[in-house]
Amino acid sequence: MIDKDKIITLDKKIMCLRKIAEDILENGRDIEAVRMNTKRILASIRMLEINVSDALLCMEKR
Amino acid sequence: MESSRSVEMMNNSIYWNPILETLRPEDLKILQLKKFKRIFEWAYCNSPFYGRLYKQTGIEPADIKTFDDIKMVPKIDKAVLRDVQTRQPFPYGDILAVPIEDITAFRQTSGTTGTPVYQADSWQDWEWWSECWAYILFAQGYRSTDRVFIPFGYNVFVAFWAGHYAAEKIGCEVVPGGVLDTEARILKMQELRCNSFMATPTYVLGMADTAKKMGIDPAKQLFIEKITCAGEPGASISATKKRMEDAWGANVYDHIGATEIGAWSYECKFKPGGLHVNEAFFLVEIEDIETGDIIDEPGKSGNMIITAFDRIGKPCIRFDSKDVIKWADYECACGRTFRIIDGGVIGRSDDITKVKGVLLAPTAIEDVVRSIPELGYDYEVIVSKRGDIDDILLKIEIMPEYSTRKDAILINLKDQLRVKTNLGYRIEVCPYGTLPRYDVKSRRFKDMRKH
Repeated sequence: MIDKDKIITLDKKIMCLRKIAEDILENGRDIEAVRMNTKRILASIRMLEINVSDALLCMEKR
Repeated sequence: MESSRSVEMMNNSIYWNPILETLRPEDLKILQLKKFKRIFEWAYCNSPFYGRLYKQTGIEPADIKTFDDIKMVPKIDKAVLRDVQTRQPFPYGDILAVPIEDITAFRQTSGTTGTPVYQADSWQDWEWWSECWAYILFAQGYRSTDRVFIPFGYNVFVAFWAGHYAAEKIGCEVVPGGVLDTEARILKMQELRCNSFMATPTYVLGMADTAKKMGIDPAKQLFIEKITCAGEPGASISATKKRMEDAWGANVYDHIGATEIGAWSYECKFKPGGLHVNEAFFLVEIEDIETGDIIDEPGKSGNMIITAFDRIGKPCIRFDSKDVIKWADYECACGRTFRIIDGGVIGRSDDITKVKGVLLAPTAIEDVVRSIPELGYDYEVIVSKRGDIDDILLKIEIMPEYSTRKDAILINLKDQLRVKTNLGYRIEVCPYGTLPRYDVKSRRFKDMRKH
C-alpha cells in the first residue's frame, strides 16, 4: 500500500501540471498545433488523476 | 532520459499501479460509490439520451447516496444501444456526452448477436482504453524489454487495438502483424524473435497448427513466452488453455473486455483460476437471473451489470452485458485487492439455451472437445428441429495422425458429452482442415430453431 502523504504530494504536482496545460490551451487556442497537442496532454493528465488523485476520494477521512 | 535504475524498478514491480491495485476493500467501495456518482452526473448533464432516461425514471444525481441507490438507476443493454443509433444525429444518435468534434475514433461490435453497435471514443477515452490494457499486460508480465507481435487485422473491431497502444505505453516494442497471412506472421515472429503475442484462442491454436505444417514447432523453434487472449472464453477453459500452452510452450493469459464497455478484467501471472476485476475503473454487479437481486457472495452465478467509471464520450452505465459470472471464494497470491471472478465469463445468459428440455451452455461443449487431444481445434454445433424434436449436430475433425482410431475417439467423445452436458449428439466427422477457421470471434454455435 502506498503512503497517503506520497499520494497527496503527487496529486499537488498533477494539479500544477493541469493548471499549466490549461493555461497553454487558453493562451494558444488560436494555434492549432498548440491547441490539439495540449488537448492530448490534458488527456494524459486525466489518466494521472484517475490513477493517483482519485485514490484520495476514499482517503479523505483517514 | 529515464535512468537504468528506474527501468529496473519498473521491471521488478508486480503492479502497474500499486495505489489502486492494493487499496483496502472498504476503501475501494467508497471510491466506487464516488466514481459512480461522478459518471452518473456527467451522463445526466451531458448526454441527451441518458438525461432523458434518468428524468423519465425520476432519478437525479443527488439521489445516489449509497450503494443501494445504484440499483434504482435503470439498466441499458445492447438492444437499447442499437435503438439509440437509429435516431438522429447520425451515426450515434443522441447518446454522446461530448461534442462530436471531440470524437477521434470509431469502432463497432462484432455483430455476433445482431446489428453491430457503433462505438465513439474521444482521445481521452482512447487513453483510458490503453490504460485499462496497461493494467492487464503489466499483471501478465509484459515489460519494456518485451517484443510483442500483434497478429491482428487492424480494422473496425476494437480487439487488440488497445493492447497495441498499452504495450507501447508500458514501453514494449510492438510489431504490428496487420495484413500479413498466418504463414508470414509466423515467419516474422521467428525472424524478430518476438517473445509474446495477443490473439483469440482459436487463432492461437490455428497459428500453432499452421506453424507445424510449415515444419516449425512453436514450442521449440519460436521464442514466445507469453500470450494474451481475448474475444472468446477459451483461455479460461482449462482444456483449451492447456492446449495453447502445450502448443506454444508459453504462458497463456485471459482478459475480458467489450467494445461498448472497455477492458474490465484480467488474469495475472499467478493464475489463481479466475480473473481480477479492475474495480477502480469499473463497477461490476452480479444480478440473480431469476430474482434480480444483487449477488455479493462467492460461488453463485448471475448476470453481469457493469459501469465504466471514466468513459466520457459514450458513457457505459449499468450495462446488462448478458455475461454470466460468479465471485470467487479465494484470494490471489499476487496481493491485488481487486476481487476475482471464478473461471472468467462462464456463459452468456442469452447463449444458455434449452435443448431437449436441458439447459445447454456452448462453453461446456468446447470444454469437452478441446479436452480430447485426438480432436482438431475446430468444431461446429448446429441445433435444429427434426420434426418436433430438438437435434444437435456436432461437427468435428480428427487429427490426421489419429484417423485410424476414429471409433474409439467417437465413443470417448459421446461419453464425455453425455456426462458434461446431459445430452446426446449426432456427430459428423469432417475431413481435417475443412471446418471454418476464425481469426476474430468464432461462430461455432448455431441455433437454427424458430423460437
